[in-house]
Amino acid sequence: MKTIAATLMISALASTTLFGANAAVNALKVTDDLSTISYASALWNKATFSPVLLYPQTTIRMNDKTANAINANNHAKKAMVAALYNDQNIAFIIRWPDGTVNVQKGESTTSYADGFAVQFASRFDDPNALPYIGMGSEGRPVVVHLQKVAKDIYEPNGNGDVALQVNRNQTDLFGKELKAFDKKVASLGSSDYERSFISEGFRSMTEIKDGSNNSYSRIRYMKSNKGWEGTLTRALKDEYVNLNAGAIPVAFAVWDGEKMGRDGLKHLSAWVSVKLQGKSGGDDLIAALDGSLVGDAKAGKAAVAANGCVGCHQIEASDAPNLMGPSLTNIGGYSTAGYLKESLLKPSAAIVPGYNRNAHSAYQWYTLDNGKRVSTMTDFAWLDETTQNDIVAYLQTLKAEVK
Amino acid sequence: MSKRQLAMVMDLNKCIGCQTCTVACKTQWTNRNGREYMYWNNVETYPGTGYPKNWMDLGGGFDAAGDLQPGVIPNLEADYGVPWDYNYDALAGGASFEPNVEPTWGPNWDEDEGAGVFPKDNYFFYLPRICNHCTNPGCLSACPRDAIFKREEDGVVLVDLDRCQGYRYCIAGCPYKKIYFNPKISKSEKCILCFPRVEQGLPPACAQQCVGRIRFVGFLDDEESQVYKLVHKYKVALGLRSDYGTQPNVYYVPPTESPVKFDAEGKIIEGSDRIPVEELEKLFGPEVHGAIKTLKDEMKKRKETGESELMDLLIAYQHSDMFRLDNTYYQQVAKDKGLNPLAPVDTRYIAGKYTKTGHTINFTHGAGLTAGGHH
Repeated sequence: MKTIAATLMISALASTTLFGANAAVNALKVTDDLSTISYASALWNKATFSPVLLYPQTTIRMNDKTANAINANNHAKKAMVAALYNDQNIAFIIRWPDGTVNVQKGESTTSYADGFAVQFASRFDDPNALPYIGMGSEGRPVVVHLQKVAKDIYEPNGNGDVALQVNRNQTDLFGKELKAFDKKVASLGSSDYERSFISEGFRSMTEIKDGSNNSYSRIRYMKSNKGWEGTLTRALKDEYVNLNAGAIPVAFAVWDGEKMGRDGLKHLSAWVSVKLQGKSGGDDLIAALDGSLVGDAKAGKAAVAANGCVGCHQIEASDAPNLMGPSLTNIGGYSTAGYLKESLLKPSAAIVPGYNRNAHSAYQWYTLDNGKRVSTMTDFAWLDETTQNDIVAYLQTLKAEVK
Repeated sequence: MSKRQLAMVMDLNKCIGCQTCTVACKTQWTNRNGREYMYWNNVETYPGTGYPKNWMDLGGGFDAAGDLQPGVIPNLEADYGVPWDYNYDALAGGASFEPNVEPTWGPNWDEDEGAGVFPKDNYFFYLPRICNHCTNPGCLSACPRDAIFKREEDGVVLVDLDRCQGYRYCIAGCPYKKIYFNPKISKSEKCILCFPRVEQGLPPACAQQCVGRIRFVGFLDDEESQVYKLVHKYKVALGLRSDYGTQPNVYYVPPTESPVKFDAEGKIIEGSDRIPVEELEKLFGPEVHGAIKTLKDEMKKRKETGESELMDLLIAYQHSDMFRLDNTYYQQVAKDKGLNPLAPVDTRYIAGKYTKTGHTINFTHGAGLTAGGHH
């Protein structure tokens, strides 16, 4: 834990350092084409790899009994991330540890895929009011690029080829014709489980299917390093995001199929700052996301206890789960100080949609006021600023250990 | 809750476990790869492991406080049973007849086993199951993508395949395990209560093909409907495992007509009943006692007086005595939504609440079709 003095020193450095040296990831400017860059490109040798910590998502608990049991005591993961950009595109490579290769198979109901996702904020002009890390929030959309490892999937594609989705035994074909049928069917499958979504908070996530997103993603397993390596390249600017800035917020998530990972069963990072080297600006963002504690965590813990937060939130992993509000056991891992403070002062600014409102009907995380979501949490703006910062600092310390 | 609710009643006294419903469903809807192992309709032997194996122990549904309970997602090989096929093509070449996978488990692996000791008190009955199209669906509540919805017009619960990302939490959330994962398309699929048929005047395939005529279909708010009479008027049709808290909309007339037991000497124990009422209470709740009493009383009344609306209803003389569908209503729904209203392909069962004019088309008399009144 850093002391206040150290914290102040680092923030002072952040604001004075030219070139954003404290950014979590530095994107190197290149002139080469990045539109279809993969892990195999030699360009990555020039880039600088920086650590990004990924924490188990524990804000909400999914309803899969088996998966919950095997994910009960997850540690954090340390991924290494590098980035490149040119005038059109920005590309990321993420390497993360995973001891097992898990492919979602076409003949199993209980196999799950390893995979990763990269999330971009549609707006980040106020670095203390970024979209909610869990796939955005109302009025603050995000774009999520997802790549999973799957065997061929024959997704209904609306192309009118339903007849090719039937079992071969149900056709009236024989011999050569049946072989041709099999071939046609095989051509419909795709093992490239790459998806892009636009989202304003989980539940609202909607796949972009009209081709208006411009992205390319690849993934491979590195046997020697016992981990995956994934790349994602996307347009710097499209109708969803504009990443032409000195620094941008980016978030990463990985799934472990071995642990039945999918959807919320994942590890995710906080918004991390990515400096686009050579572009000016973005220092505020870099400083806001640098992760340093904004107050005295010990005093914050006392304040959290005094204000009865545990009445609605599970705060430390040792506390009893509480359906009244989001669990905070890893909140320090995947939240920024700005988000935590905003949520403390203006709980309705970024609503966590939480469970289906029918799943735990006695515990609504928000009410609807003329269609607008209003958090059921009371605001703590009346606390003095030191106490507010101490509470945020304490929340920043709530996270699993890296292993 | 939806505006109206389509419901089904199954009379377990009449189910002979022939699986015609299963076959009707499979031939109608297994039109896509990845559905081979799924039985949107299955008929299992009770007591027994059921399909998927031990589904009653796999969690899901709600507790008394209304909280969704975690559940377990069944495994294809161990719990559903992997669909296998035979090497027909190789037989011509002299190969021996072999399955392509070693079958270790499948639906109805324990068919007709039941419980008790033969010949003293052994018993079993058949339990046909489809999606219950619950008023408070566990699957819908479990979906983190809001990909499952309950149709406003008739309460049919459907998966929006466009939104579904194959997370499978719905399977864990459904206490009946009546929602399935299609691994070929990586999406969840389930019984759709044959809504494309119902909208056009045809009952669900399982109900129409049922040789025992055990399945009644209609709207629960339609007081003339058979389902209304069985569920609300006579209260002889009860939800399966209502204690799961999902408010199922498939109702069962409990099996009341089981043989008597034998004593140690092989003599009939008068007044005994092989199916333990505790088992029925477990499946259908404490209301089962009232339902059994009503059924027995009405049966007696019918024997003595020859009159009983309930018995006539359960005999189900004709299909039109079993189904009351409502094309007029669906036409209005389509109009309200700005869609093209579908003309009925079969009007024999259209006699719903909003159907002011009868429009039976008689397919049997004379050479051509004749339209006539109904009821």
